[in-house]
Amino acid sequence: MRSQLLKSNTKTLPRPKRRRQRLKSWPIAFSPFARSLARMTSLSTPKRHPQNPNPTLPPRKPQSSQSSHHHFDGVVQEDSSKREQSETSDEDFDGVIQADFSFFDPKPDDFHGVKTLLQTYLDNEEWDLSAFVDLILGQTTVGTVVKIEDDEDEGIFAIVTALNLYRYREHRCIVTLMNFLLHKVRQGRDVADKLRLLLGEQARDVALLLSQRMVNLPPQLLPPLYEALFDEVLWATEDEPTEELRNSFKFKHYIILSKIYMLKNAEQKTKRNNDSDEGIIYLKLEDEIFHKLSSWSFCFPLQTQQLAPHELKNYRSTGLIMAVGADKIPKFRQELASLINET
Amino acid sequence: MKLDDTKLVIWVKSAFYKESGLQFENNCEVGVFSKLTNAYCLVAIGGSENFYSAFESELADVIPVVKTSIGGTRIVGRLCVGNKNGLLLPHTTTDQELQHLRNSLPDQVVVQRIEERLSALGNCIACNDHVALTHTDLDKETEEMIADVLGVEVFRQTIAGNILVGSFCAFSNRGGLVHPHTSIEDLDELSTLLQVPLVAGTVNRGSEVIAAGMTVNDWTAFCGSDTTATELSVIESVFKLREAQPSAIVDEMRKSLVDTYV
Repeated sequence: MRSQLLKSNTKTLPRPKRRRQRLKSWPIAFSPFARSLARMTSLSTPKRHPQNPNPTLPPRKPQSSQSSHHHFDGVVQEDSSKREQSETSDEDFDGVIQADFSFFDPKPDDFHGVKTLLQTYLDNEEWDLSAFVDLILGQTTVGTVVKIEDDEDEGIFAIVTALNLYRYREHRCIVTLMNFLLHKVRQGRDVADKLRLLLGEQARDVALLLSQRMVNLPPQLLPPLYEALFDEVLWATEDEPTEELRNSFKFKHYIILSKIYMLKNAEQKTKRNNDSDEGIIYLKLEDEIFHKLSSWSFCFPLQTQQLAPHELKNYRSTGLIMAVGADKIPKFRQELASLINET
Repeated sequence: MKLDDTKLVIWVKSAFYKESGLQFENNCEVGVFSKLTNAYCLVAIGGSENFYSAFESELADVIPVVKTSIGGTRIVGRLCVGNKNGLLLPHTTTDQELQHLRNSLPDQVVVQRIEERLSALGNCIACNDHVALTHTDLDKETEEMIADVLGVEVFRQTIAGNILVGSFCAFSNRGGLVHPHTSIEDLDELSTLLQVPLVAGTVNRGSEVIAAGMTVNDWTAFCGSDTTATELSVIESVFKLREAQPSAIVDEMRKSLVDTYV
């Protein structure tokens, strides 16, 4: 979904100095779910967010001798020339907020934020989500958490990681997850066999690529975020202390579980005059690229249907499982970069 | 792991996940979807049977466990407030829900729907069978209603600077748990008002919203599955759950109760 966050008013004069903007408790999101997520990350008291033109390295846990260049510190700053909002009034909120995002290694304190982001990962299945979150946060070499710089709340805006399914195959939550995926694809014969293979014999080379974020996170963050992920995977194959661990990051396949919106009634598309109605709407824009590059994919109905905004009334929330070969990743990075640069 | 001798239900992550871990649809906020008192227990409809049966298996012999919604929502724990004497419901409660509750709860529990602007009564008011703490901006009429229906003494208070007293503390007739940032002076003051020992702590792995993460009466507590062992031991000790025997407490109440819960 397109984020409205960075719409600019081109009539404004460029400003020489960045203004201090109070990050209001008003959430920068347009769906009830995203609003509640955003509210959880900001207390009712407004905070001041200093605008740094110079990104600073946030404190890190040292991982290995090459830890410094593992940590991509991407700071996305809105162009100050696009600012036009009055800074004094609380109510004059027209959808533009200034925020500096930073990337961090996952750490145990991020538990609640990450858990919130993953609440509906397996639809409405009851499973040990807490254990899954602990697993993600335990893997500090590969995985990135996006937070706002200097935010006392430490609200989590995005989590991205790749988990080797063989390495964690004994964990109950992973078993539940794998069974969930197998159950959902059971009707697609071919796909079911391929998935079974990936989760079984080939599990050593397979990663679950997990990427969950707040709906309106600025898309400019995506190329550096995925860059960070795939670079970390590469570095892990060289830097991990044991050979077994090093090999565990030599992924050949990535499995992705995501959500999309599909047209409720496929025939409606032909009757429709309004040809801006696509068959599929991707909630995360990189899913479209992944889908295109995938070896196979499968859609399944989701049981939790969220209240859809008016524009989406003809669509239903659908789950999407796909497998992407590791060899397609360079192409993915390229296409993602060009997609973001266009918009 | 259930401790047989106590009535504290400890739901922790175990190898058999489905049978333990108190969650309402993957949500550990037990106190949001339930309301537990010494005379009855309300549980939200729409959750899995595991959630309901956790309460039922523990309480059904002793007090009625009633499935309900309030105002069509499942956040029953946060919208209503009650004790063994009564139950107060917000104005958003529908007539059917009101009737259902009146039918399902014991006769001596007065069920009353009140007109209060602050409709999340469970967030604004915390009470046991003798004392209630309320939001500072509550209507005077509501305060009187609380005193009347619930049979308690009412104090307007804040907890660690928060006005939502109903969210940031949970107390029974034997003890209470409050927001972790409550100062020692405030703790002493509240303890004097409530006449029970209080401790500042967290639930569900560091959550400060105590009343959302757990629900408690004089002999049992239900905590979300994220609650750590340390938090559980604090809860056990402050609410004096190890020595608690439901039969003694309920027998006393039973003397004034109607015999059959329908």
